[in-house]
Amino acid sequence: MSANRTCWQCAQSIGASLFCPHCKSLQPPPSGYYTLFGLDRKLNLNTNELQQRFYDLSRQLHPDRFMRKSEAERQYSLDASSILNDAYRALKDPVKRAQYVLSQEGFEIGEQRSKDVPPELLEEVFELNMALEEMRSGDDSARPQLESAQNNFTNTLNEVDRQLEAQFRTYDESSNREVLTRIRGTLNRRKYIQNLLDEVQDQLAVGAQ
Amino acid sequence: MAYSNKVLDHYNNPRNVGSMDKSDPNVGTGMVGAPECGDVMKLQVKVNPETGVIEDAKFKTFGCGSAIASSSLATEWLRGKTVDEALEIKNTDIVNELSLPPVKIHCSVLAEDAIKAAINDYKTKSATKVEALASK
Repeated sequence: MSANRTCWQCAQSIGASLFCPHCKSLQPPPSGYYTLFGLDRKLNLNTNELQQRFYDLSRQLHPDRFMRKSEAERQYSLDASSILNDAYRALKDPVKRAQYVLSQEGFEIGEQRSKDVPPELLEEVFELNMALEEMRSGDDSARPQLESAQNNFTNTLNEVDRQLEAQFRTYDESSNREVLTRIRGTLNRRKYIQNLLDEVQDQLAVGAQ
Repeated sequence: MAYSNKVLDHYNNPRNVGSMDKSDPNVGTGMVGAPECGDVMKLQVKVNPETGVIEDAKFKTFGCGSAIASSSLATEWLRGKTVDEALEIKNTDIVNELSLPPVKIHCSVLAEDAIKAAINDYKTKSATKVEALASK
């Protein structure tokens, strides 16, 4: 990716380093969130380690440290700090991290057509919505039902997250695109379940007032 | 964001909400969804097998106002059309009729997909029916 980068200042080879190993000048930030963090592109990340690296890099790249440096370095430190924040936000969250890797691999995330969604999932979500609507149209007596729906959705969401973690491991070991397709399917299901859970919780909050 | 009056009208008084018997050979069912917004849309048509005309159309949509309005409008348009005419309904027709803003265009795409899915389901069903008759 960035194997052939050379220092803008002294023209020596720098690999993926943020600072030139020879003249120590700050380099233009590499494209790619994982490269910026100096991490292998794995879906399962140690978030403590990620956080530590984020703090270290934030310090190293902080614009205050470049006040007396060249115009170019001042600009690179601004650019790099801004990308670093985006990168940390995307990588620390498993769902956003998976979306990032999917988009890097050419999967469309935002504008999926329904043909990408398995019919069983639509069937399931439709039935769950129907059940939820029935509960809502009732009065306060629907509360126990809503609470049990809340439990069910929370459990399903936890189940989906475990499934996602397992799929992350499989992808990290195999780099198989087929697994990414499955991961996208799991993310879709997660999104639907999350929406349903939000709705139940809204409903319970209204009832509690 | 402000909805157009037509969207509000369909949202407040949705036409043809309901469902028909999925196993009826003259009923075609289309189920589509947009995971990004959590929408699901079910649209059904009942076709007269003699004339190929859609005699009834029903929908049930869980989603935003524009998704509900798009599918409600679609069922209005479908009634009285032949299945082939129905396939000519474009999402842009829905966008224009409801004055949907750019961020809501995907709702009209969903409705077009639902129409196509329902008609295709009907066509698949009637093809197998013809085959079944022929093999008798």
